[in-house]
Amino acid sequence: MRNRFTELFEGLLNSNPFKNYYKKNRLRPPGAATEETFMELCIRCARCIEVCPYDSIERADLFEKLQIGTPYVYPENKACYLCMRCMKVCPTGALNPKLTEGKQVRMGIAVINQNVCLNFLYYRDEMTGVSSTGTAQLCGTCYNVCPYTDEAIVMEKFILPVVTDKCTGCGICTEKCPATPEKAISIYPEGMPVDKNTGYFGRRSKVHGEERKKSKDALRGEKLLEEKQKIDSSDAKPDFEYNTENYDQEW
Amino acid sequence: MKIKRYRRTAQILTVFAIFFIPVLNVFELYFIKGTFISMDIGDAAMADPLAVFQSMIAAGRVNEYMLGSVVIPIVLMLLLGRVWCSWFCPYYLCAEFMSWLRRKLKMKAYKPKFAENIHIKQSKVRYIFLFAGLVLMAIAGVPILNLISAPGIISTQAMVLVKFHYVTFELVFVAVLLLLELFYFRFWCRFFCPTGTFLSFFRSKRGMTVRKVRTECSNCMSCVRSCPMMINPMTMGETSHCNNCGDCVDACPDNKKEDTLKFTFK
Repeated sequence: MRNRFTELFEGLLNSNPFKNYYKKNRLRPPGAATEETFMELCIRCARCIEVCPYDSIERADLFEKLQIGTPYVYPENKACYLCMRCMKVCPTGALNPKLTEGKQVRMGIAVINQNVCLNFLYYRDEMTGVSSTGTAQLCGTCYNVCPYTDEAIVMEKFILPVVTDKCTGCGICTEKCPATPEKAISIYPEGMPVDKNTGYFGRRSKVHGEERKKSKDALRGEKLLEEKQKIDSSDAKPDFEYNTENYDQEW
Repeated sequence: MKIKRYRRTAQILTVFAIFFIPVLNVFELYFIKGTFISMDIGDAAMADPLAVFQSMIAAGRVNEYMLGSVVIPIVLMLLLGRVWCSWFCPYYLCAEFMSWLRRKLKMKAYKPKFAENIHIKQSKVRYIFLFAGLVLMAIAGVPILNLISAPGIISTQAMVLVKFHYVTFELVFVAVLLLLELFYFRFWCRFFCPTGTFLSFFRSKRGMTVRKVRTECSNCMSCVRSCPMMINPMTMGETSHCNNCGDCVDACPDNKKEDTLKFTFK
């Protein structure tokens, strides 16, 4: 009974239109508390906006309900470069001033849309033997541009970019992603509730992984890739297990 | 030298600072940073006590960053009275400009006649407005009183103008207030401004106050006429309405012969 009441109460609180206003590619500055407490603590003094040397923190407009005046990072326009200046300036602790390194930041997590990403399309074409795009393009911009290379984004099979849980959500990959008009990689803000889109991407990656497991021998490109793996000499690559089942549960 | 001249200098310097601090920050000089909702000078953090109080209520917790940023303004307030409003607030300067404009246009504004109990009426309206705002804020769970803090809006808009080269719709709110200022004498500062109301809680009688030092004076009432907060400076200097602007000290004709109405510390 009590649980049901608390659930109802929490549900009412979470449906507060002034809080929990999540959106894809729309993040709080690094070190921000959870969205609810952030909205409580932020006094809209705009100091983080003033101090940002890259102009990546922007001020929310009047059209965003009571969010007006609060800071946002739109990684499609300008990503956060983790200079760690804004959180030292916050007077109320809405941005945690104890963070010192960029690695500790969790603004969100990057999710790759496998229907748009060139590498995944290429891999699928190789796998099925049918060219869907008519071209064979490989890019790997997100991997190169990531500030924590080989930690936050790992190249599986040396062509498939996969985001690990070390992703800080800084959004540099989103800013630099060449896919148009929709970005192939986008950031979902930290604490974003289970969303249709998020579930969709999670499901896609799961399906894709299962397909690959089933048709292991039938793959044409797979053997080629394995041969390519043998040629590679960098033993320093970290071992990464692409655990698709846990990936879905995290959301 | 008249106090008003010092005060005007301080006000114009603050308006200059509003635009100059973001310029410094654009050139990556971070010694002074912030807006009038909160500001850093070196390592000393200062924040609007009302803004911090709101986030304390909304979050239901206190941390050391909040307390640290409130100390300097409150100590200043206890020592010097509510000088923030009359000596530094950019909105106050605009309101004074509007009353000057009204005099130039020869308009008649609604200025009630002085009565001894006017401060009770004023404080009723002020406290009810602040309390209602705080209740609304607690329901929304968001510090919304910052959205109607006129000095905060002016300084953040100046920052946005310097850094991003645009101005948002919030400035219309301040413009409307200033237009109404033409018809109702100093109504925002006297009755509504939540920042000023909250700051007046920190007024101590030990700090700088206007007092009638001499027992006798010519009773010309020029100090009462000059007071922008519509109180009697001779008796009500210690109340929370007085913001130590010093207009009454300037206006007093007896001060030329002998000290009558003065800023005193106790």
